[in-house]
Amino acid sequence: MVLLNQKGFKLPRVEKEKFMLLLRLGLDYNSQQTLYSIKNYNSIHQLRDTLQDILKSEIAFTQTCTICNIDFGCSTCNYTKFCPTKDLPFTCVCNQCLRPKKNLQQQKLF
Amino acid sequence: MKNDLWVEKYRPTLIKDVIGNEEAKILFVEWLGNKRRTKKAVLLYGPPGVGKTTLVNAAANEYNFRIIEMNASDTRSEKAVTRIANPATSFTGLDKFSSEIKGNILFMDEIDGIAGNEDRGGVNAIIKIIENTRAPIIMAANDVEIEKLRPLKKVCTLIRFQPTRIPLIIMALKSICEQEHVKYEFVALEKIAVNSQGDVRSAINDLQGLSEEGKTLTEQDTLALSLRNKDVSMYDTLKEYFAVKNIADAANLLNYSTVEYDDLLMAIGDNMPKRYTDTVKLAEAYDFLSQADVFRGRIGIEHWHLLKYFYNNLAQAASVDPESYKPFEFISPPIRVITLFWTKSKRTLLTSICMKIGVQCHVSKYEAKMIFVPYLRLMLQQRKKANALAEWLKLTPEEVTFLTGLKMF
Ligand SMILES: Nc1ncnc2c1ncn2[C@@H]1O[C@H](COP(=O)(O)OP(=O)(O)O)[C@@H](O)[C@H]1O
Ligand SMILES: [Mg+2]
Ligand SMILES: [Zn+2]
Repeated sequence: MVLLNQKGFKLPRVEKEKFMLLLRLGLDYNSQQTLYSIKNYNSIHQLRDTLQDILKSEIAFTQTCTICNIDFGCSTCNYTKFCPTKDLPFTCVCNQCLRPKKNLQQQKLF
Repeated sequence: MKNDLWVEKYRPTLIKDVIGNEEAKILFVEWLGNKRRTKKAVLLYGPPGVGKTTLVNAAANEYNFRIIEMNASDTRSEKAVTRIANPATSFTGLDKFSSEIKGNILFMDEIDGIAGNEDRGGVNAIIKIIENTRAPIIMAANDVEIEKLRPLKKVCTLIRFQPTRIPLIIMALKSICEQEHVKYEFVALEKIAVNSQGDVRSAINDLQGLSEEGKTLTEQDTLALSLRNKDVSMYDTLKEYFAVKNIADAANLLNYSTVEYDDLLMAIGDNMPKRYTDTVKLAEAYDFLSQADVFRGRIGIEHWHLLKYFYNNLAQAASVDPESYKPFEFISPPIRVITLFWTKSKRTLLTSICMKIGVQCHVSKYEAKMIFVPYLRLMLQQRKKANALAEWLKLTPEEVTFLTGLKMF
């Protein structure tokens, strides 16, 4: 699993056609920093498939916490099983912000 | 203030307070602020209760647009659409020199309604308006897959809304609780949020329905939610249930599952032989299952504290032999299929009927459904007994009609 930060990530060199496809699917490319970022989210599912194809691995996008602004992965979330959208869109609330009490006990099972 | 609907009271008026769907918000605001729009119309689409209508109003407010609203659901003909829409679109000049108002925006909310069966005209009229107008046009729809809307897709910018994330909903619920001075257990908010499946409106409504002044909102209070939950797929729950690696996973899954207890119990029971091919393991699993059934019976409608034993036993049944798990196809006998694929409202009706039977006859809802309902239906069909029986059970006329009309049993 590769975790990509939508605000900027690197990809291996791709052929021109692939590159154009990526731009069409909503990526932006900063040639100075050689970083890709996501500009348009409308074809995000296709984009994800294409990226998985290029990276030959499953990918996930980082989330940005709307409260403290840190980037984090969904693997730290307690609700992934019930998440209606998996790792899209890209904003959520991180665990620390959601449960401000430090050691708020994990829910007792029984 | 008790009669205020919290969904209205806490409807955001600023773009930044509309939670979730950040990307969609950005796209929409860009579209709104861009005078050289490539397309004059925009269609916001996605599930209900995620803030589409709210966002449009908040954005218009912040960007000083005047919204001319047109309720598409009310519009049944091309004529009507044109009549309402034309003034708005030809006004634009009027406010040109006003510094306050940037212009009019035509807003057609819930345009899926316009694609009612008879009138293709409605959609065509909208397309005409889009072609002939200067004012920007905003549309919102809950279901963009409707065949009739297809022509619209070509002439507008599409912005997709997703269900709202659980943590975001929890934060919103927390904030409302604080403003309403409602004390809460965190788990209770978690449950409400999970149960809402990303629908902020229904989460807030549930919160309001469950909170009582001066009482702490507890996890137990939220148990009633799963009795009237949405039509989540039983299939997904079963799939995960039978594949769990350990009892904790099973417990966690059940803890959050929104499938109705009784349906779940039956479905698990039916599929158990396919899960455990080893007869010893199977017997062990069935032992737990029957324990669960016993607790389910005792829970009735009052003893919710027993629910954890019910879940505990179900969890144990799932984890008798994790190593032996192989995927298999679930069986779903007719009676289950019937209740599972019913709509939410039908299930709610049946649930309510079974609870009433449970109260009067001192049986579990499960027994009520499996044993009593079929007979009750026959008895109610006999005019003479029907009234007294319905009265004794405190059934509403709607419930009686529903029962007598049942074909399934
Ligand atoms: N994203 C959101 N942020 C905050 N409140 C929301 C959001 N979505 C829905 N709500 C609440 O639910 C109510 C209904 O939302 P609405 O915008 O009408 O949903 P939609 O148009 O997508 O069906 C609002 O009044 C508000 O209280
Ligand atoms: Mg709406
Ligand atoms: Zn945070």
